[in-house]
Amino acid sequence: MYAYTDFDRRFVRARAAQFRDQLERNLAGTLGDDEFRPLRLQNGWYVQRHAPMLRVAVPYGVLSSTQLRQLARIARDYDRGYGHFTTRQNLQYNWIPLPKAADVMDLLADVDMHGIQTSGNCIRNITSDGLAGVAPDELIDPRPYAEVLRQWSTLHPEFAFLPRKFKIAISGAAEDRAAIAWHDIGLQLLRNEAGEIGFKVLVGGGMGRTPIIGQVISEFLPWQQILVYIEAIVRVYNRYGRRDNAYKARIKILVKAEGQAFFDDVNAEFAKILQDDPAGHEHLIPQAELDRVAASFIVPAAVQAVPGVDIFAGVQAGAQGVAYRRWLERNVHGHRLSGYRAVTLSLKHVGIAPGDATEQQMDAAAAIADQFSQGELRVTHDQNLLLPWVRESDLPAVFEAAKANGFATPNIGLLTDMIACPGGDFCALANARSIPVAEDITQRFQDLDELYDIGDIDLHISGCINSCGHHHSGHIGILGVDKDGKEWYQVSLGGSDGSTLSGAAVPGKVIGPSFAADEVGDVIEAIVQTYRSQRNSGERFIDTVKRVGLQPFKDAANAVRSSTAAPAATAVTA
Amino acid sequence: MKFVDTHHDQWQRCAGEDGPVSHPAAADHLLLSLEQWHAVRDTWPANLAVGVQLPNDVDVEDLAADLPRLALVALNFPKWVDGRAYTQARLLRVRLRFAGEIRAVGEVLVDMVPLLARTGFDAAQLRPDQSTEIARHQLSFFPRHYQGDVNEPKPAFADNSADKVAA
Repeated sequence: MYAYTDFDRRFVRARAAQFRDQLERNLAGTLGDDEFRPLRLQNGWYVQRHAPMLRVAVPYGVLSSTQLRQLARIARDYDRGYGHFTTRQNLQYNWIPLPKAADVMDLLADVDMHGIQTSGNCIRNITSDGLAGVAPDELIDPRPYAEVLRQWSTLHPEFAFLPRKFKIAISGAAEDRAAIAWHDIGLQLLRNEAGEIGFKVLVGGGMGRTPIIGQVISEFLPWQQILVYIEAIVRVYNRYGRRDNAYKARIKILVKAEGQAFFDDVNAEFAKILQDDPAGHEHLIPQAELDRVAASFIVPAAVQAVPGVDIFAGVQAGAQGVAYRRWLERNVHGHRLSGYRAVTLSLKHVGIAPGDATEQQMDAAAAIADQFSQGELRVTHDQNLLLPWVRESDLPAVFEAAKANGFATPNIGLLTDMIACPGGDFCALANARSIPVAEDITQRFQDLDELYDIGDIDLHISGCINSCGHHHSGHIGILGVDKDGKEWYQVSLGGSDGSTLSGAAVPGKVIGPSFAADEVGDVIEAIVQTYRSQRNSGERFIDTVKRVGLQPFKDAANAVRSSTAAPAATAVTA
Repeated sequence: MKFVDTHHDQWQRCAGEDGPVSHPAAADHLLLSLEQWHAVRDTWPANLAVGVQLPNDVDVEDLAADLPRLALVALNFPKWVDGRAYTQARLLRVRLRFAGEIRAVGEVLVDMVPLLARTGFDAAQLRPDQSTEIARHQLSFFPRHYQGDVNEPKPAFADNSADKVAA
């Protein structure tokens, strides 16, 4: 992973000191709450339902065991003993008192971490593929580029107060595991016919109230120019993005409204930076800088390709063997190095909110990473942890260690490996709770034979239209809505994150009026049963939805309505 | 960064009892609205010290031809979290090579000062309740930044490359 330089360390320390100054002025009453708010947000501090929430940046999801131990320590000493991993590969705490905030930032700085730009109307933490650097289908390792982008976007003085938040995702593999088309800027690394490396640049994607898929603004941008090109995009957005309505302030609205004129503006601005600005070329990335950063992302010295083995060979029959086989099938992934695998530590099981980990689990995951994965972990977009450097011969031992610490649910990619935001239990923005819905569904699908029979399915749950739970991109999406102070849930089908399995990125379609909270579990079961009765042999859920359309699912869902069943019921049309 | 003391500011606005004067008489150190400037620019002598205050949705590149006659451009923050004027300042200073004063006006808070300083502002008229002492202190936290800015056009990585060359 990226090795901090003295400069990087001093910088994070300076940021922590600056935040302490702001916090002290706020606590002393010389910096009002309204004016402190945007400042603390840009350091990851929200004020939520119960207490402040801290969102810690995990740049492009790469985490060391040392860092994870420190996160465990903070959970133990300052929070209530757990944290929540997010779809944007970050970690959130929910219970840290604000007066302790500056102390926590110092503890983070001790391990080269921070909360810079994890919130606020600025360029957010950059996300990437959880398998970056190890995926067998990787074309170009995105991590060095993500790190150069992280540094460039950190405390950019011109772009600290944009019309709205700004998210960048970067993928370097054949398969898009970063949902790039759903981002304000999506970057796909590729090679042109001459073998040169560059980016396909997408702009104007986003979820929220108006889900929009990003459009290609450049089919191939040489990598050296990416900072300048993004500067041009963000400058045009800063100048012309709407500021009169927060729901229309994302760049997607500007891109949609302006169309080709937006693209022309960006390309004209890009040309002006390079041609008219005296130092415009200074942000072209030199090969030496890319090389310097890339040197942090080499294969660890102790990792050497060895002959691969059939990991299923010799797996025993019987319950033990079946459990191990299932774990191998779902939680163990291919690797670009022979003899190695990537392993997901599932954070999805009964009794725990999706993405949550206790401080004991964080310490345990750190120990597992030290023993079996070169001290390195990843936070995945699907809210799990991942070990990137596991030797095939260590898989049985990793399975045992995962099992002992609640990480071995063999459900990666299955229905219970759902994405969910913290929802109304924690979040002040939420209209409805997510966690009880997730828990109800998880409990209903505990039969592994049934879960495996249902197969690959993306279930995404958001507690409000801000879409932190990515309901738009779920094969099944659940959205919490509020009506008359009650919780209601909209269900949508057919959404895609843009992966091969799911097809081109597209928002799901709502299947009808909202359901009452106590109906949602039955509705999901009815939808799943409809799939099982309608599917062709070997057909996945998303493909059945595309083939047969929404009607059979709507009918099945409506048939299980109870409180919203009567025509005069107070069903919400939204 | 100069912090403007409004009681001792040489720049005066041209407002009568009914609002801005539409066609002010020529004088030094008047801070005009864009409309006032457009009304007088063809008739005022070229050697006057003139200031213009711009709304934050004006394209500063449209002002390029006027800049040689302006000693001051004031950029407005209607709300402090509206960041458009940072881009205006950066374009004025870097692209248009404006060498006069660029002053932040409107809702200008002490915590904006590091951003103002890095985007081309060299003067700030703080909101009356803000402390110039705290504002100055805000400039002390970061000796260097990752990306270039108007004061240091090279990004931090340029230093790395230079080190390598030197080594």
